[in-house]
Amino acid sequence: MNPESRPLLALDGVCVAYRHHEVVHDVSLDVASGEVVALIGPSGAGKSSLLRAINFLEPPSKGRVVLEGAEVGGSRRSLDALRRDVGMVFQSFNLFPHLTALQNVMLAPVHTLGVSKEQARERAMRQLTHVGLAEHAHVKPGKCSGGQQQRIAIARALAMEPKVMLFDEPTSALDPELGAEVLATMRSLAAEGMTMVVVTHEMHFAEDVADRVVFMADGRIVEQNAAGKLMRDPQHPRTQRFLNAVRNR
Amino acid sequence: MSTILSELAAGIPQTIGITLASFVVAAVLGLPLAVLRRSEVWLVRLPAVVVVEVLRAVPPIVWLFLIYYSLGSTDQVRLTTFQAAVIGLGLIYAAHLSEAYRAGLNAVPVGQWEATRALALPRRQMYARVILPQALVVVVPPMATFAIALLKDSAIASVIGATDITFQAVQLTQQDLNGLGNFTVAGLLYIALGVPFALVARGADRVLSRRLVGS
Repeated sequence: MNPESRPLLALDGVCVAYRHHEVVHDVSLDVASGEVVALIGPSGAGKSSLLRAINFLEPPSKGRVVLEGAEVGGSRRSLDALRRDVGMVFQSFNLFPHLTALQNVMLAPVHTLGVSKEQARERAMRQLTHVGLAEHAHVKPGKCSGGQQQRIAIARALAMEPKVMLFDEPTSALDPELGAEVLATMRSLAAEGMTMVVVTHEMHFAEDVADRVVFMADGRIVEQNAAGKLMRDPQHPRTQRFLNAVRNR
Repeated sequence: MSTILSELAAGIPQTIGITLASFVVAAVLGLPLAVLRRSEVWLVRLPAVVVVEVLRAVPPIVWLFLIYYSLGSTDQVRLTTFQAAVIGLGLIYAAHLSEAYRAGLNAVPVGQWEATRALALPRRQMYARVILPQALVVVVPPMATFAIALLKDSAIASVIGATDITFQAVQLTQQDLNGLGNFTVAGLLYIALGVPFALVARGADRVLSRRLVGS
């Protein structure tokens, strides 16, 4: 296979189980470089579990995760290599509360990548500027709004210069106004060509920003298609039922 | 009163020395015990559980006799009363402190651990930069309580002959038979020595809490 047609990220027959209860069944998904994929579906569909399996926060119980043609193994070294290339943004931000925004963003470049402090500071300031929060560099997360905290978390992930960004319901903990500023940041990231996999309940975002929307229910992919097509003309009755329910809310 | 005080004061350096040295031993050894006890691998966890439980189950005075009169009195090893007391109390309090550390580590939200994993932070940096600073806020108050308990337990060292405050009080009482006076002053001395620990703990608690949320 030539590198051009090779997906940047491929999931092959991935299952996720908690103890012996399987919540994601045999999911395969390819993500091309620069593509934005939105995972939508009802609560409990396994969207977040699938996303967390990509960077092994929930190690797949079966199946393979392949990044740039290389299968991710279970060793610490292999996982660290994967996580250096895959940025993660959490629903509840998970910023380090005792560190300033700048320190949050600098930490991993310095200690994971071994970048010098000066370079890391420069890189961190660039990313904080990127998300519009340069003036908050020396403020601790506790003093920032939820939307600002999530943008700092995005900057923290971006400072690793990842190849793929994973977003796990990044606006679910925010009110609509603060969620909008996070979505605007994600929109601009997408426009810059960042490869993104986004678990979201924001249907407008999925329709407008994603290239492809994947609908999941009961731990399986029910249907996937180009964003506009899936959102306007869903084929599967389960997808139709979900989208109708969301629209009529 | 002042004569008693000046006699007993001779034991203060030994009391403070045993307390501080044992506390350092406990604070350092307690951390690996806590980390091992949180391991998901039972083979790693089990030895730590056994060590902690055995250290806590046997009375301190028995440990001190065991260390001083048997392990510390062989041809190869000769321990002073001070060394035996520090080893014994240090180990016992390492077990107590490991439980406080464990509570502190458990109090750090799951999301913090996940974020360090998602960022591929090396284990040492994960603990040093992210987890321990947050766990410390929870650990400092019980640590201070243990420090004060250790100060009081250091009196046990007098039975193996460490020349601390209690030892001096016993000696003096054997001479003047004024048990009430001597041990009342000894008690007051322990109370007075405990005050700085409580103050330091309160100050540290305030600073750490502020660091966690302040700008």
